[in-house]
Amino acid sequence: MQRSMQSSKLLKLIILSLLGTISLLLFFLNFPLPLLPDYLKVDFSDVPAIMASLIFSPLAGVVVVAIKNVLYLAIGGGEPVGVTANFLAGVLFAVPIGIIYHKFKSVKSIVSGLITGTIIMALGMGVFNYFVLLPAYSLVMGMEEMAIPSVKWWTVLGAILPFNVIKGIIIGILFVPLFIKMRRWIELQQAKFI
Amino acid sequence: MNEYMIIGQYVPGNSFVHRIDPRTKITIIFFFVIFVFFANSVGSYGILTAFALITTFITRIPLKFILKGLTPVWFLIIFTFSLHLIVTKDGTVLFNLFGWEIYSGGVIQGVAISLRFFLLILFTSLLTLTTTPIEITDAIEDMLAPLNKIKFPVHELALMMSISLRFIPTLMQETEKISKAQSSRGVDFRTGPLKERIKAVVPLLVPLFVSAFKRAEELAMAMEARGYRGGEGRTKLRLLKIQSIDIWVYLLFTCVIIGLFLLRTY
Repeated sequence: MQRSMQSSKLLKLIILSLLGTISLLLFFLNFPLPLLPDYLKVDFSDVPAIMASLIFSPLAGVVVVAIKNVLYLAIGGGEPVGVTANFLAGVLFAVPIGIIYHKFKSVKSIVSGLITGTIIMALGMGVFNYFVLLPAYSLVMGMEEMAIPSVKWWTVLGAILPFNVIKGIIIGILFVPLFIKMRRWIELQQAKFI
Repeated sequence: MNEYMIIGQYVPGNSFVHRIDPRTKITIIFFFVIFVFFANSVGSYGILTAFALITTFITRIPLKFILKGLTPVWFLIIFTFSLHLIVTKDGTVLFNLFGWEIYSGGVIQGVAISLRFFLLILFTSLLTLTTTPIEITDAIEDMLAPLNKIKFPVHELALMMSISLRFIPTLMQETEKISKAQSSRGVDFRTGPLKERIKAVVPLLVPLFVSAFKRAEELAMAMEARGYRGGEGRTKLRLLKIQSIDIWVYLLFTCVIIGLFLLRTY
């Protein structure tokens, strides 16, 4: 069925909204990991964002991550700081996967995309925590001791980097078989929106 | 999945706070968060605490809902308080605790910072406790309207948020249905090694994605059949209007802030 421009734009908008809803629901089904502190939890909410960035474009992935986080704020699930961090992590993860996939369009590109995404997310979140989050936290808490480089390095290397790497690996374990199963379907959806 | 059936904090009611325009609430909370950092004396903390507690009280929301919203931060508050007790070494030594000398400055700092944190969390959670997500969406759309001038798709963003919100219960039911269907076919979500449990999510996600795309197509068709053609010239079902209570709230809040600046030490 041939769609008009206007019509396919609306459909795309609705699809991204629903992917945002799925992402939010998956966000609530998180599970804590052994050995890591309680507030660092792994969830599959990035999977719909990766899906959007494969079917449409990396920017669509960003939109899905944004919807999830804004909704999470609006229903009163979290505070703005954690939500901003989560948004950033989602974007840093989903965008590289989308970019690499759209270059080569193969299962291999998904695997290398997941690896690249994990590295970029882990490094990006490390930098973000070191320069923004930890200083801001120490300011709010009135603790100048938290902002000295050795404490920050310890937090980034001991918690932020390993957490994001483990998160990337876990999502990868889920996403590769999911992609292999849904590859035909994903290509079918792409064809609808050219 | 039953424990997730009700997500979100909103507690229905018809109190004074419930009836304030969501835009007013967001504005007041924004400035409250900034001004909390200006408090530095007993009086200035007192006036902000009194304001926050009285506001909380007149929402007539049962205490257990308010405490539930605070649970994730108790740990952080206690952690910060104890850190201050141990690290800050101002003032006189109050007493000796297992070899650690507790200074009066540490206690004062600890209480002040914990109180600041408590006020921030309590007051911001009042927004989501007394405002429905859809009201917040409308407020965001209205407050971001100036961004339309730089071609930022404000209407589309708000539309996406309302569609997303609308489908939370629907897709939640769907997820539950699919997971029961897959369980009855022998998929095991709860036991086994981590890797197997992660892979068990695949048969849950495949039908969820496919059916979401089908739903999206139906909704797009239905909207177009009813003549949807973008945000321009579209009228609203829920109109936001500033009323006299909003003016009073702004006046009262201004008084509190003036009081804060009179009571703080320089």
